Amino acid sequence: MKKVAAFFKGIGKELKETGLTFKEGDWKTKVSFLILGFGSLMRRYYLRGIAFLAIEVLYIWYMVAFGAGYLAKFSTLGTVETHMDPATFLTVYGDNSFLILLWGLLTIILTFFFVLIWFMNVRENRNEEQCLKEGKKVPSVKEDLYQLLDAKFHVTLLALPTLGIFVFMILPILFMVGVAFTNYDYNHQSPAKLFTWVGLENFKNLLSIGTAGFGGTFYRVLGWTLVWAFFATFLNYFLGMGVAILINKKGIKFKKLWRTILVMTIAIPQFVSLLYVTKLFANDGLINSYLLKWGVISDYIPFWTNPTLARITIIIVNCWVGIPYLMLIVTGILMNIPEDLYESARIDGANGWQMFRKITLPYMLFVTGPYLLTQFTGNINNFNIIYLLSGGGPQSMSLVGSAGSTDLLVTWLYKMTYTETNYAMAAVIGIMVFVVMAVTSLIAYSLLPSVKDEEGFQ
Amino acid sequence: MKKKVLAALLVMSMTAAMMAGCGSEPGSSSSDQGGQESQGSQDNQGGQESQGSQDNQGGQESQGSQDNQESQGGGTEAPADFDYGSGNITIWAADAVTGLTQEMAEKFIADKGLSDKYTVTVESVGENDASSNMITDVAGGADIFGFAQDQISRLVSAGALQQITGTGFDTWIAEQNDGGAAGAAMVGSNTYAFPMTSDNGYFLYYDKSVVTDPTTLEGVTAACEAAGKNFYFEVNSGWYQPAFFFGTDCQLTYDTDDSGNFTQCNIDYSSDKGLVALKEMIDLVSSPSFQNGSSADNATNVGAIVTGTWSATSLQTMFGDNYACVKLPTFTGSDGNEYQLGGFGGFKLLGVKPQTEAGKLRLCLELAQYLTNTESQLARFESNEWGPSNLTAQTSEAVQANPALAALATQLNFTIPQGNYPDAYWSRATSLADDIISGNITKDTSDDDLKKILEQFQNDCISYAK
Repeated sequence: MKKVAAFFKGIGKELKETGLTFKEGDWKTKVSFLILGFGSLMRRYYLRGIAFLAIEVLYIWYMVAFGAGYLAKFSTLGTVETHMDPATFLTVYGDNSFLILLWGLLTIILTFFFVLIWFMNVRENRNEEQCLKEGKKVPSVKEDLYQLLDAKFHVTLLALPTLGIFVFMILPILFMVGVAFTNYDYNHQSPAKLFTWVGLENFKNLLSIGTAGFGGTFYRVLGWTLVWAFFATFLNYFLGMGVAILINKKGIKFKKLWRTILVMTIAIPQFVSLLYVTKLFANDGLINSYLLKWGVISDYIPFWTNPTLARITIIIVNCWVGIPYLMLIVTGILMNIPEDLYESARIDGANGWQMFRKITLPYMLFVTGPYLLTQFTGNINNFNIIYLLSGGGPQSMSLVGSAGSTDLLVTWLYKMTYTETNYAMAAVIGIMVFVVMAVTSLIAYSLLPSVKDEEGFQ
Repeated sequence: MKKKVLAALLVMSMTAAMMAGCGSEPGSSSSDQGGQESQGSQDNQGGQESQGSQDNQGGQESQGSQDNQESQGGGTEAPADFDYGSGNITIWAADAVTGLTQEMAEKFIADKGLSDKYTVTVESVGENDASSNMITDVAGGADIFGFAQDQISRLVSAGALQQITGTGFDTWIAEQNDGGAAGAAMVGSNTYAFPMTSDNGYFLYYDKSVVTDPTTLEGVTAACEAAGKNFYFEVNSGWYQPAFFFGTDCQLTYDTDDSGNFTQCNIDYSSDKGLVALKEMIDLVSSPSFQNGSSADNATNVGAIVTGTWSATSLQTMFGDNYACVKLPTFTGSDGNEYQLGGFGGFKLLGVKPQTEAGKLRLCLELAQYLTNTESQLARFESNEWGPSNLTAQTSEAVQANPALAALATQLNFTIPQGNYPDAYWSRATSLADDIISGNITKDTSDDDLKKILEQFQNDCISYAK
């Protein structure tokens, strides 16, 4: 809250100073409010002046040649549909809603940056004026540039990555958020058709409880996503820890052999082993075939085609894939727990379970807490396991939008884009995934022992 | 100084890591669905190789040759001094025919005397990927591309197909190809594509040593059960499932307007006929020998399998001397009547992307025509056993002599030409059958509940045509 207040205070201060600059500044400064860099040029700081002027010229050129057209159509996302000239059979492309949305967003962001540079220009004028008034030397361009390699080295270094993050991550995310408020779906595909803003309709559709539409399906998929993430994370965690403790125990022979066997599952690329397991457990797969052949069962076990069984199978297969990783991590940490803790516990007469609960587990949770959190959030978005094992199926008449009983939000999102071509709804689901992730991980983060008690084990 | 260098290196590696995900992978997606069972509409039939022909329509002799026809649009021949302009034409063809298409296209350009003005690039993009790539990015798509016919309305509504009606080529298409194929190339009253093959349909393959009498569905299941073999029938695919419903004389078709929008759904699944079909599906699924699937390469312990011509080679290897195939069996419905399983007949088409230059449009249309004429279809039959849709090609001796496909020919008498279906239909059909397979609907489910489910299915199907 304080930060927000400080932010607005900062903006207010900046605006006030800008006003003062205009009021108290000389005519050169005043002209600079319209023609960027004018003051600097008149005061013979040519390079700086030209840079500001060039930015303004570039911005105006961009807006006139390009941006303004897209920005003007931004509120409707286009009105002229693509059509074919019946006389010549040539296609005349109309407005492209997709590009209007994309370039419109970019133009808005560029305008925002231009405003920032305008403020910079005003501040520069103020500085120059003040320095000249007080008879101080204005730092030369050379000095400014040298700063970029010294005190402001971080700016130089991070310029490229920031630009990259903006182009490859921020802009697409903003674009997708924009799509969530449109009707960009099967019937409105650019460039042939136009799509337009529909406000919160998609969200209403997704969140309305008790309807046959997306609402009912969304809550079922969300429920399974959370159940899955819980079991996939904690079952792996405790079983992996158990296996590691078992192998670490004094008196167990062939420790290396056991570890090697378990680590073998890591050696094979995960998607290969998962595809193999899919076939293995299929209705006509090896396991069912042999059980039938030996007469253990009379009809195949529907590992993937029965909703409940499919969910259980997926969680168990995930354990098989995940336990070895946990075992490796935990083995290392177990060796780090000071032996004297156990020794003194033993002298006090503690049994194995007590030692585990009072020494091993707290230590583990403290060290691996952040890992647990990332695992949990990772599992919410665990596309591979679900997609490769059951493909989200089996579907049902009670679920809409191609969703199946084992679909996570993220695999449903995939189906929404690839089989349903419903980009708007997919974008909404994407936003919901973010909300779910943010809420769960923030709550879990605040509960972590390593966050609550940083000094705990030192 | 050391710190700065270290920081610079860190930033560089961070930037590199960020860019790492941005590489493009051309062509990698065309073959990655091989091992996967169908999950949605696009997997149904498009990407599968077809190796047969449809020879039941050979009786009609076709006289229409491309040289001597004049139609209201001015025929398909351009004026002698027509300016084709210059540029590059991209073609997407299935992997198996990429080389062949390149050869044919280059020959065409050379014959036209345009070698110095036009270059042709043929890329290997499977039918499934072609349509989804075109829909995602029309501007970046190929000028000419092959696709499975169930995608046509999707492509038209995405603006990815040039209208052919009125250009003169539509008359040529109607005269040269069998009626089903020419109809499949139409959306509303307009033609949008050049038919390439006429062989997408399914029928029954079986092991003679397991199944002795393949005429009834009950007989086939009983024989497979007795031998402990599997009977594959992909009922949860919207393509195979109508075999039951069309068999009991139900209908499910969609009307589209000329620009590919679905205007009306003609469906009567929610009826006594539909109930009979649904009950038969439940019956079949409840058999221990039943397996949901149609991929011969993934099938194990096969007694019988319902699939198309593309599986012929693998099944020949699998069954050896016991290899046999026949039309789909009949079944005795819950009402005591006998029904013949029906289904879809399907086609592969070649489409032209909408163009903005008259010269290139003309050339693309002529090239697409050349790639689907009698000689080209025969060439593809000879190299890949793709069954021609061209009437003259269908009557050729080689095509007629392909014995394995009599089954398809017979079955096609009981099918309807596959029209246009919205995407959501395919997924909904999967949901309907998945409910049976997963045990949500069983033999014990009351007729009233079954009727409710059919009614819901029917209403959903209707809602897709807005």
